[in-house]
Amino acid sequence: MENFSLTTKNTLKVTENSFIITFNEKLDFIPTQFIMIETPSVVRKPFALGEWFNDLAIGVEVIGKGTAYIVEQKALKVHGPLGKGFVPPSGKGAMIATPACLAIAFDLHQRYDCDVFIGSVEKLLAEIPFEVVYGNDEFVELLESLSGYDWFYVVGSDQMEKVAFDLLRQKAPVYISFNEYMACGIGACRGCAIQTKEGIKHVCIDGPVFRGDLVWN
Amino acid sequence: MELNPPLIIASGVGGMGEYLKLIDPKYIGAYTLKTITLFPKEGNLPPRLFATQEYLMNNIGLENVGIDAFIEKLNNNQYEELFEKTKVIFSLGGDDAQEYKRVAQKIAPYEDHFEAIEVNFSCPNVKKGGLNILSDLSSLQDLLIYMRKVLKGFLIAKIGVEGIFVEQIAQILKDHAWNGITLINTIRGLQIVNDKVFKGGLSGPILKPIALRAVYEVKNRAPELYVIGSGGIMCEKDADDFFKVGADAISLGTAIYKDPHIVERIAKHIGRCYG
Repeated sequence: MENFSLTTKNTLKVTENSFIITFNEKLDFIPTQFIMIETPSVVRKPFALGEWFNDLAIGVEVIGKGTAYIVEQKALKVHGPLGKGFVPPSGKGAMIATPACLAIAFDLHQRYDCDVFIGSVEKLLAEIPFEVVYGNDEFVELLESLSGYDWFYVVGSDQMEKVAFDLLRQKAPVYISFNEYMACGIGACRGCAIQTKEGIKHVCIDGPVFRGDLVWN
Repeated sequence: MELNPPLIIASGVGGMGEYLKLIDPKYIGAYTLKTITLFPKEGNLPPRLFATQEYLMNNIGLENVGIDAFIEKLNNNQYEELFEKTKVIFSLGGDDAQEYKRVAQKIAPYEDHFEAIEVNFSCPNVKKGGLNILSDLSSLQDLLIYMRKVLKGFLIAKIGVEGIFVEQIAQILKDHAWNGITLINTIRGLQIVNDKVFKGGLSGPILKPIALRAVYEVKNRAPELYVIGSGGIMCEKDADDFFKVGADAISLGTAIYKDPHIVERIAKHIGRCYG
C-alpha cells in the first residue's frame, strides 16, 4: 500500500452523471480492490479500481461536491490498493452493474469467465462492450431471466444491489460490493462496519465484497 | 516526556499502528493506540461515519479487543514492529471507574513498553464510561488518586469540553500529580443523514477555535502540566497556533484521513521553526 498520485488520461462521460476516468499510471491490484481519493471533504473517498481498454480506471457517479471534484481534477492524491479483493468461485458468473461501475466490470470480464449486464435509468452517452437494459421494469425482467450461472456479482447503489440480491439469491450465490462510508480505508478507524451474521465486519479490510446472504436476510 | 518531533498520532484515528504503512515514523513523535477497555467492545451499530469539508462525525463506540487480548498480543510480540519504529502511547478506557482501575492494574506491569499512558475520560460515543466519568467529581478524584498510585510512568488525561471546565479538571490533575492533559477529544454532535438522526463525536477543522481556547485556559491555570493540543489541526499554521497558546505537543487526528502526508509536512515545519 502506498500514498501516491494518479494523473488523469481521459474522462469518458458515460451518462449525464457517470464517468470513467482512465489514468496514465499502471497499478497491480486484485479485482474489486479500491483506492482512497482525496477530495475537499475531511476524509478520502473509496473508489474501486478497474480497467478500461488497457488503462487503469475508476468509475465515478457525481452525486455531490466530492465526486464532482474528482471528475474535474488532472491529478488525484490517493492511497491503495486496499481491500481483500474478490476472486469469484469456479464456473461461469454474471456481473450486474450500474454505468458508474463499468471500469470494475470491464476488469472482471477480462479476468474471469463472466457475462456483464448494465442496468441504467439514463441513456448511455458512450459505446460500451456490454449489454444494457434501461429502466427499472426492464432491469427486473433481466434479473428474472438470468439462469445457468454459478455465481452473481452485483455492484451499484444500495437500493439496486438489494433488488438484485432478492431476485437472484435462489439461483446461485450472490456477491455484493458494499458501499459503507470510510475514513481511512486501511482498518484503522473501524468506521466502515457492517452487521453480518458472523458479527461486525469492516468493508475496507474484510471486503468490500461479501456474500449477500452473510449480510442480508 | 521528550518527543521529537512533538507530534502525536491521536488515539482512535490511527488504530493499532496501521498508519505506519503510509507515514514515515521519523516524522512521528509518538503514536497513540486505540483505546483499550476492560472487556472487548464490538462498537456501535453502523452507520458510524459522516463527513463534510468542516468536520467528521464518528460513532465508532470504542471498538477494541479488550485488555486481556491486547496483553496476549503484546506478549506474542504482535506490536513489536510498531515499538521498533516509534514511541507508543497506550490509551486506557472503561465503562465505569472500577473498570478503569482494573485496566490500569493489568497494564501496569507493561508500562515500560509505553512512552505514556493516556486515560480516555472523554469518549462521547459510549453509554457508560468515557465522558460520563467526569460527571462525578468526587469519584473522579478517587480514580485519579488510584491510577496515579498504580501507574508509575507519564500519565495523561484526555479531556473533552463537556461536563466540566477544562481548567478546573487541569487543576485537579495537577493536584494529584498527573503529568499531562490532551485537549480536546471530540464533541457530541448530531446530524440528520438520510432523514435519520445520526449522533456522534465531532472532529476536524470545526473544532480548532474550541481546542485552542481549551489549551490556552489550561496552560494559564496549570502551566506545569504537559499539554497536548488536539482538534482541527489540518496544516502548519494550525500547529503554530497551538504552540502559540502553550501546547507542548500537538496531536493529529482527522487530518491524516484527508492526507497522511500532512504529518511529514507539519513535522518538517516544526523542525524548521522550533527545532
